[in-house]
Amino acid sequence: MDPKIEMSDVYEPSADIVAREIEGEIIIVPIASGIGDLEDELYTVNATGRLIWARLDGKKDLRTIAAEIAAEHESSPGEIEEDVAGFVGELLTRRIVVKGGGK
Amino acid sequence: MSKAAGSKAGLKAIRGDELPLSGASFLALARAVLGRGFSLRFRAKGFSMAPFIRDGDVLTVVPKGGDLARPGDIVAFVHSSDGRLTVHRIVAFRGGEATIKGDNVSMPDGTFPEGSILGFVRRVERDGRVVRPGFGVMGRLIASLSRHRVWEGLLSGARAVARPLRGRRR
Repeated sequence: MDPKIEMSDVYEPSADIVAREIEGEIIIVPIASGIGDLEDELYTVNATGRLIWARLDGKKDLRTIAAEIAAEHESSPGEIEEDVAGFVGELLTRRIVVKGGGK
Repeated sequence: MSKAAGSKAGLKAIRGDELPLSGASFLALARAVLGRGFSLRFRAKGFSMAPFIRDGDVLTVVPKGGDLARPGDIVAFVHSSDGRLTVHRIVAFRGGEATIKGDNVSMPDGTFPEGSILGFVRRVERDGRVVRPGFGVMGRLIASLSRHRVWEGLLSGARAVARPLRGRRR
């Protein structure tokens, strides 16, 4: 089941991943039982996803993130909000992010 | 998403061995994982640690942290000549510096400050099975023989004996 994403929620990278920008790409290594396993599945984020990923800092809610991206890229906030919610939902399903901001 | 921002935001799953990482990038990723105190599991490339570690073996490296490095330890370290992550054995350790060498090469890599060592190899898997790569007493013995340039001779001798035996078995 897809997680329900509220635009007022705040998210941050999970403690169970290591993310690093390498050669212009964000590479996310999930940590299982204390091991970052390069033989297992890793994740990369596309250019648009990076705009969102860089802002998932445990402080800004998703609406603020969408508004920032919309302003920077002259896009409609509604369209951006939908994309932000979808992307964060995917990250949440894979336990790459957790709800932050004390929620 | 938008004209300016480009396509829809997306996440792509990829296997580590499919990542086209340069040596420097692999080192950056290893540093990121080990630096957070996590172990790193990855596939070895090359033959410089044969027969204990072979091309394609899967290694698990634990972060060095505050642990002392000792002769015989197989370590993942940053090779100063090319800045790559290299897995070789410590053959001598003195004054905070380690002399490191591949078991299957004649010359040492050089002497490196302890800070170049990112972690210790603690597990080697080959074809899905854990193998014994010469740890502990065996590792110290290999380090000593290697330091005195005896190990390569023994290795060549063992290969020379093994070759005709293998031929006979066929």
